Amino acid sequence: MRDAARRRTRRLAGALLLAAGFGLAPVPAETPRAEVPVQEFTLDNGMKFLLVPRPEQATVMGGWVAKVGSANERPGITGVAHFFEHMMFKGSRVIGTTNAARDAQIIAEQEALQEQIRALYAVQRQRYRRGEIDDPFDPAARPRELVDLESRFQTLVEEQRQLMVKDEFDRIYTEAGASGLNATTNWDSTIYFITVPANKLELWFWMESERLLQPVFREFYAERDVVQEERRLRVDSTPTGPFDEQLNAMFWTSHPYKWDTIGWMSDLRMLSLADAEDFFSTFYAPNNLTAALVGNFDPAQVRQLAERYFGRIPRGKKPVPDVVTLEVPQLAEKRMNAECDCQPQLAVQFHTAPFQHKDSYVLDIVEGLLNGETGRLRKRLVLDSQIAAAASSSQQSWRYNGFFSLSAETKGDATPADLEAALWAEIERLRDEPVPAEELAKVNNQIAATSFRNLESPFFLLLQLLFYEGWGDWSYLNTWSEQTLAVTAEDVQRVARKYFTPENRTVATYLRKAGSAAEPVPAELADLPGPLQQQVMGQIRQIRQSTDAERLEQMLGQLAAQRSQLPPEFQQIVDVVEREVRERLETLARAAEEGQP
Amino acid sequence: MSRRPTAVVTLALALAAGAALAAPVLAAKPAKAKSPAIPARPEALTFGALRFEVPEAARLRHELPGGVVVYVVEDHALPLVKLQATFRTGAFREPAGKTGLAALTASLLRKGGTRGLTPEEFDEKADFLAAQIGSTAADVRATATLDVITPALGEGLDLFFEMLREPRFDERRLEIEKGILLEQMKQRNDDAGAIVAREWTFLMRGETHFASRQMTRADLEAIGRDDLVAFHRDTYGAENLVLAVSGDVDTASILADLGRRLAGFRAAGAPPAWPPAGPEHTLQPGLYHVEKEIPQGKVRIGHLGSQWRDWSDPEMYALMVANDILGGGGFTSRLTQRIRSDEGLAYGAGSGYGIGTFWPGIFQMGFDSKNPTVAYASVIALEELDRIRREPPTAEELRVSKASFVDTFPRSFESPTQIARTFANDQVIGRAPDYWVRYRERIGAVTAEQVRTVAEKYLRPDELVMLVVGKWEEIGPGDADGRASMQQLFGGRVEHLPPRDPLTLQPAR
Repeated sequence: MRDAARRRTRRLAGALLLAAGFGLAPVPAETPRAEVPVQEFTLDNGMKFLLVPRPEQATVMGGWVAKVGSANERPGITGVAHFFEHMMFKGSRVIGTTNAARDAQIIAEQEALQEQIRALYAVQRQRYRRGEIDDPFDPAARPRELVDLESRFQTLVEEQRQLMVKDEFDRIYTEAGASGLNATTNWDSTIYFITVPANKLELWFWMESERLLQPVFREFYAERDVVQEERRLRVDSTPTGPFDEQLNAMFWTSHPYKWDTIGWMSDLRMLSLADAEDFFSTFYAPNNLTAALVGNFDPAQVRQLAERYFGRIPRGKKPVPDVVTLEVPQLAEKRMNAECDCQPQLAVQFHTAPFQHKDSYVLDIVEGLLNGETGRLRKRLVLDSQIAAAASSSQQSWRYNGFFSLSAETKGDATPADLEAALWAEIERLRDEPVPAEELAKVNNQIAATSFRNLESPFFLLLQLLFYEGWGDWSYLNTWSEQTLAVTAEDVQRVARKYFTPENRTVATYLRKAGSAAEPVPAELADLPGPLQQQVMGQIRQIRQSTDAERLEQMLGQLAAQRSQLPPEFQQIVDVVEREVRERLETLARAAEEGQP
Repeated sequence: MSRRPTAVVTLALALAAGAALAAPVLAAKPAKAKSPAIPARPEALTFGALRFEVPEAARLRHELPGGVVVYVVEDHALPLVKLQATFRTGAFREPAGKTGLAALTASLLRKGGTRGLTPEEFDEKADFLAAQIGSTAADVRATATLDVITPALGEGLDLFFEMLREPRFDERRLEIEKGILLEQMKQRNDDAGAIVAREWTFLMRGETHFASRQMTRADLEAIGRDDLVAFHRDTYGAENLVLAVSGDVDTASILADLGRRLAGFRAAGAPPAWPPAGPEHTLQPGLYHVEKEIPQGKVRIGHLGSQWRDWSDPEMYALMVANDILGGGGFTSRLTQRIRSDEGLAYGAGSGYGIGTFWPGIFQMGFDSKNPTVAYASVIALEELDRIRREPPTAEELRVSKASFVDTFPRSFESPTQIARTFANDQVIGRAPDYWVRYRERIGAVTAEQVRTVAEKYLRPDELVMLVVGKWEEIGPGDADGRASMQQLFGGRVEHLPPRDPLTLQPAR
């Protein structure tokens, strides 16, 4: 068995590299592919299992996907899918407390107080809408009643803490030598995973079925604060995060992909236990879940354990609702011009095709043509014209919709407009010229090698199975390379013409915010007091952007007049400003000679 | 496309490596299907023993003629081969005024073509073979890697060794890369996380030692092609090389091949002083702040950690456990439980106790919290630092922490690549393979009182440095409920560090 498999591997990889040997011929269309043997079964309650035994491991990597993500939310509860993921680590009736009955009572009492708190925040929002307060969540603007309620709530939290076994769910796994307990949420799915020593596999079944069977969402409101901190960390405190979020919200017109998985802050402040429980009962039914195990186990034993542990969870009472909203076709270009503490950069994004759509494989090839050391983007923008410090593209085909984006960061004096022109030239090349055979062969070789590399890490293998299942079909793992290697040069042109159109694009330009530290400050100004330096830099910035030669000439006259009135220590400022004006005038004159605007 | 049956790669083949890959053995039968009742609590489950033997380094270790050490771990499950070359060079061999030369040399080694191939030809060839070739340099080592499919192994090795031995350092590519580096420098103050990382390292190690210093525009402008050529010529050679090979190779034939390719490869420069000298910075305890207009303060609190003197020293293992209980162990650690899980003040909160090989590591506690609650979270962190020095951990804390170290141990040897690279790294830093063999036993010997003793000895509240990056106007006063303000920390004194010019790293006004 082992030797036979090895021979096959050799043969297929030999076929793969024939192309490289001759340097010209494309990879034969029937090049075989890497394939993972996956054992699959489904329990009576609808929960599916995917097994990949790897007896050489000392561990089992286990995970499961709930086929629900932020696309299943609605305004008002954005962020709930991800927040709910956090709550799945808080224990159960048995895990996490020494007194389940009193614990449940406290949670009910806490919830009653939170209802009143939420009602008061409705009033705060009203005051905010009327302009009476600047921020509905400003702690200093809380009415006395709200402060009292929060303090009563805190008393209950402390009482509950006395009964709690802190983070017990995590502790049990940790003590058992399990590691990497975590989860991740995206627009389409929520994935939970961990690695356990191979001899502790039954513990995985016990723990995972327990939290699905009888979860308790204790510490709900402290965790809601944690999620807000996570938002501040991942979005609000990053250079481009808040703009990227708004770009995404602008890109999608009707589809719920428009809000980020982390959710809007106003919603995170208001999420209730009822929202979470409702979400759980609707989307965490076993018929909406798939589990996967990769590692050292006996498949027959796993099947028994699965039936015993997960089989006891009842099928959902109602069918899982589908996302019915379709993205409406984009009618006109969308554009955002942002300023941030960031390198000047550009992003262009197109609506494309979802997961397993035939065009998605073509777009994978397009991405391969554009990216990499010898990709078209690096060649044109970074190496040839040298207007970019970095340039890349990204192909995404998700469960309900897809998009393709190109992005680049400026280098030297180049502007986002220069980047846009160069990227667009590459788009037109894709539309107008067939891909040369050798270039397509290069991308095909990389696709074939990637299909092997994707199978190397058992953890990555687990994640792929669960992600693809979340998008609709794990077997994509085994069919992707075959579909992609079948793409032709004509397909590339057809798809480029179909999606890469002006009216289907959304463009974002990012300029460095005026006065942020990366701006080169002339040496003569380095020793000026901060505010004065800023003032002078503001003027220099206007000069550098000016296209009005007449106005600049006038400035030279004004500077000459001012010079005599200024004390000696400011003379050098005038020198610098005058130099900037003259340089700008020269630039404008040169541009006029070359016939540019 | 034809629909004929496709080949299936069977994955579970790593045992082909023979005894080299010690496979775990399930000693006892798994729980019997006859007892289908599910226990009410997981403690009632019973498990078979997991036997795991550390792979024997000596069996994987080979020496080429000329003395180059190579670790080879065969694995024929997939048609892939990985090679890692580690040279004893790096920033510690840079001349004065040319910070960044080691990294730039390593980068251009990969990007600057070879004697026989222009950069474009080299890149095209590598991409067409789907070979991934990398080259980087750090403080005391430079690493080059090759990742290639088996049928392209020969051509991949040709490219790889041509790159290592006869780099072109193409002038135009060098200018392009220098321009890109300058753009990256401009972004040094954009992300608060980058500011914290830089300033924290400077506070801990000073700004001049090669382990902490950073390239400025002046360094960049001072570096020319000749410098790269000289740095490569003087410091890259087989006499300071360690190799790790893993994947679909035959040991005997890859060794012969490597020996042939390395013949006559010697550095022109004298061997460097070894071990390299550490930083000699005197730490200035106190509270430091860098202003940044963000809603969340980024915090580090700590001081210098330790240096391995002896891998058999029980104190080092006790320190690992102490840190794990304080903040290293995720949700089972005190900092995460109190700052995150109890109070909801941060998404991540934890600690690390660095034990360095050539100079002391860094001990640090860290978290990101909204500006007004930075003070409150800091007070909690300092309380926990005090507590772990005063009281021994509970029996449960000690048990969970030690069990976790011992039972996750096999993961250090999870893949053939990890095995080969772990042993190659030991060779580079001079650690005996005995370290891994005795690791579990040494962790197992740690006692609660030892944990308290080492915490008291190695965590030093008097020496603490705290750095916070965020909006001081909101951080200083603390939270609206009056739980804490920055006034009560470090005697109410704070040094506001001026922002640095991103290109000179000098304080800007």
